[in-house]
Amino acid sequence: MTILQIIARLALWLLVAPLLPGIINKVKAWVAGRRGPPVLQLYYDLARLWRKGVVLSTLASPGFVIGPAVAWVAVASAGLLLPLGPAGGLFGFRGDALILIYLLALARFCTSWAAMETGSAFEGMGAAREVSYAVLAEAALIAAVLSLCIQTGSTSLVTMLSPSASAGAVLLAAGLFTVLLAENCRVPFDDPNTHLELTMIHEVMVLDHSGPPLAVILHGAAMKLMLFALLLVEAVLPLGKLTWPTAAGALVGGVLASTVGIGLVESLLARLAFRRVPLLLTTAFLLCLFALLIAWKGGGGA
Amino acid sequence: MTPGLLLLLAALSLASGIVTGPRLARTWLALVLAGAAGALISAWAVLESGAPWEWRSGFHLGGEPLHLRLDGLSALFLVLLSVIGGVSAVYARQYWSDERYPDSAPAGRAWWCGLMLSMGGVVLCSNGLHFLIAWELFTLCAFFLITLDRRRREVRAAGWLYLAASHAGTICLFAFFGMLAARTGGWDLGPMRDRAELQPLCWLMLTGFGVKAGMFPLHIWLPSAHANAPSHVSTIMSGVAIKMGIYGLVRFSGWLPMPETAGWVILVLGAIGALFGIAFALAQSDLKRLLAYCSVENIGIILIGLGTALLGTARDHAPWGRLALAGALLHVWNHGAFKSLLFLGAGSVLHATGTREMSRLGGLWRAMPWTASLFGLGAVAVSGLPPLNGFVSEWLVYLGLFDAASSRAASVGAVMPAIVMLAMTGALALACFAKASTIVFLGACRTQAAAQAHECGTLMRGSMLALAGACLVIGLGPVLFWPPISRAVEAWSPAWASTVPPVPLAKLGLVQVTVALAACAVASWLWRKSRANGLRRGLTWDCGYAGPTVRMQYTGGSFASIAAGWFAWLLQPQRVLRRPRGLLPTDATCIERVPETILERVLTPLSQIVMRASAATRRLQHGRLSAYILYVLAGLIAMSLCVVLRP
Repeated sequence: MTILQIIARLALWLLVAPLLPGIINKVKAWVAGRRGPPVLQLYYDLARLWRKGVVLSTLASPGFVIGPAVAWVAVASAGLLLPLGPAGGLFGFRGDALILIYLLALARFCTSWAAMETGSAFEGMGAAREVSYAVLAEAALIAAVLSLCIQTGSTSLVTMLSPSASAGAVLLAAGLFTVLLAENCRVPFDDPNTHLELTMIHEVMVLDHSGPPLAVILHGAAMKLMLFALLLVEAVLPLGKLTWPTAAGALVGGVLASTVGIGLVESLLARLAFRRVPLLLTTAFLLCLFALLIAWKGGGGA
Repeated sequence: MTPGLLLLLAALSLASGIVTGPRLARTWLALVLAGAAGALISAWAVLESGAPWEWRSGFHLGGEPLHLRLDGLSALFLVLLSVIGGVSAVYARQYWSDERYPDSAPAGRAWWCGLMLSMGGVVLCSNGLHFLIAWELFTLCAFFLITLDRRRREVRAAGWLYLAASHAGTICLFAFFGMLAARTGGWDLGPMRDRAELQPLCWLMLTGFGVKAGMFPLHIWLPSAHANAPSHVSTIMSGVAIKMGIYGLVRFSGWLPMPETAGWVILVLGAIGALFGIAFALAQSDLKRLLAYCSVENIGIILIGLGTALLGTARDHAPWGRLALAGALLHVWNHGAFKSLLFLGAGSVLHATGTREMSRLGGLWRAMPWTASLFGLGAVAVSGLPPLNGFVSEWLVYLGLFDAASSRAASVGAVMPAIVMLAMTGALALACFAKASTIVFLGACRTQAAAQAHECGTLMRGSMLALAGACLVIGLGPVLFWPPISRAVEAWSPAWASTVPPVPLAKLGLVQVTVALAACAVASWLWRKSRANGLRRGLTWDCGYAGPTVRMQYTGGSFASIAAGWFAWLLQPQRVLRRPRGLLPTDATCIERVPETILERVLTPLSQIVMRASAATRRLQHGRLSAYILYVLAGLIAMSLCVVLRP
């Protein structure tokens, strides 16, 4: 039973995740009045990359391929730890919220390691930005988790994410959405479309990757996006109080809404100058901090 | 065999190691390993059974009867001492060999045994006087080990700084033990929580042990001493010696009545130390100095746990205090394992290339694949990432803090900043070790020395493998290590006695094992798939640039510049910059150095004021007899005036 459940969830993460970037691109095309690539474009890309050969830098060690693999495993495990609204958690236990955060950190370490393998200044630049901005993003994320913990008195994701929707929900939503944009390298922190390497974070770290390792990286990024979207929706909506079908509908609708939101942000905003990035991340941290204070002052909550 | 007999054997073999060590290197290694094994078995037996071993002898030393005690807490530190001491002795046999260092290697072996013996004495002595004697011997042995290579000027300077700082701490300890003996009427040590009049002594204890532990801001001696000592010595200094300070803090905070303020002070200093320590580490360009500052960070994490535990005891032994203390104590082991691994790795790099400057290294993985992968493993562990051991202890500390915050007990909400700071520390540690491991081992070799590097020998590799194994075992099977940790917690506060883990450590272990296995499986699958698809080697793309050189790589300084820039107010980097000028610039330089701010910006100016005042006073003493007679006369007149004018 549990094995079946694990397989089902893994399949869900594997198959659904690449849909989100497709939706974002569709929204962007729609706002710009273009037809845009098909929603399933990332699936085609992944299939194509999976069949392609690999060009390795002469400087790269096996870590260049191992890094993306470990990062993918870390993100996938974090995904499996995340409860899926009405379907509940697979493996919920006390303290799993922290494991989720640190698994994402493991993914970051491995991606930066792989980026530094090539000895390219561009990739070093990307890795340096990734690990530095993550300091602020992680502070915001832990403040958000702490506010949920104080509200529910628990450190298990299943309990933390079920009630929610207290007075601080709006602040928490804004803060988590900003963290989502930063962690997934979307506008205004990073521009996934640009081809000017100097301005990028994530894309520049994977410049030298090709073939199956690149497919794994792209798929991992899609899963990370889905993870953050789910986390955002579950933290903000009181899914635990709804009936099964309503909750499932709310979850799917929420994820779709945040994906569309990302698309709209990307269409309407320009990328920030790099020296402004810490400022925006600090704002996200402050938003989460205020949500935390509200939870602290608000008494037991749900 | 009883623990006592084993301990006696261990002490005897270490003592004979002092005698035979200088001449017989192999015998010395066997004796050290025998001593370490004896101490390890006895300590483990105590941790396993939970029954403390105590020995009072009629034999008097310095007028006081010998009293040794091996309870859960001492045993925890004795395990650390014996494992790290034994493993780094194996490493030292090859690293600091007679052939390379004929002058200092023989003496180094004797001091090594002395250091292990005296540190063993520190954790075992249960008499204030003998504790102080062991403490002083340990300080001296460590000084001679740090300055083994004393022909180098910076080594001597580091040694003196260590000695001076340590003795400043020892003065506090003399005062502490002296006043304790005066107030309790004897030098014998033991639990005395119910004697409220002893409370003020805890500040002396905090300062004295804090210096040794490298507690921020008393850590001034630590970076230079750890960086300049031979690497096997840095290993035992960072893995064990600074933990003796932690041992003192934990031991006496458990025995003495502690005011709640002390808990807050320790918590705040720990949180600040963790964050600032890792900020300093990030900005370093010297590999071993970076590791040394990272020790300040880890001591900070341990202190966060200890401070939270003290707050918990003040609130009727709240269960979250127990979690935080268990996390702190497990972190003592974990830090010992991964930091020693990293220092040994840094030693291998130094051995192979002759430099600790990260900007002169790079691309070492090709020549030293073992060192590179083991250092990478240590980097993952020290960044507190799953599935290795660093995460387990940080997780426990986090859970303690989270439970404290959500318990909503009055004023405990103030631990929330500590949680945020701990999270930022974790992310900065990741940045710091992503920098250290990738700049040193990946990319292209930056200098000739790096290109001619060679892999370290079997003994050195073996000792690194042993420590990496420890990191893996604690990471993958954390539930196995709960019973020994709980014995130590029990020795600290009997109210928290229970060997059943309050948190799902078994499930954590399951997640860690799953992640580790899945990572191995997916990595090998991806590697095979890539090879099956066709693997081609090519120049790094670099956006189409055809002639990249090794100097175009990102350096450690540039990697750290964003995050280090946020802490510029603290780090005060000194920069000498000569920009390229003119149409055809010939040369340009940029030299950046991060000073030890507390030492160079706070302590040095203060001591200069003291020196200037002393120099001004010294002018009174010039050797001219007539003036001295004038002083006496003036004094007499002043005194008689006092008498005459007195109402």
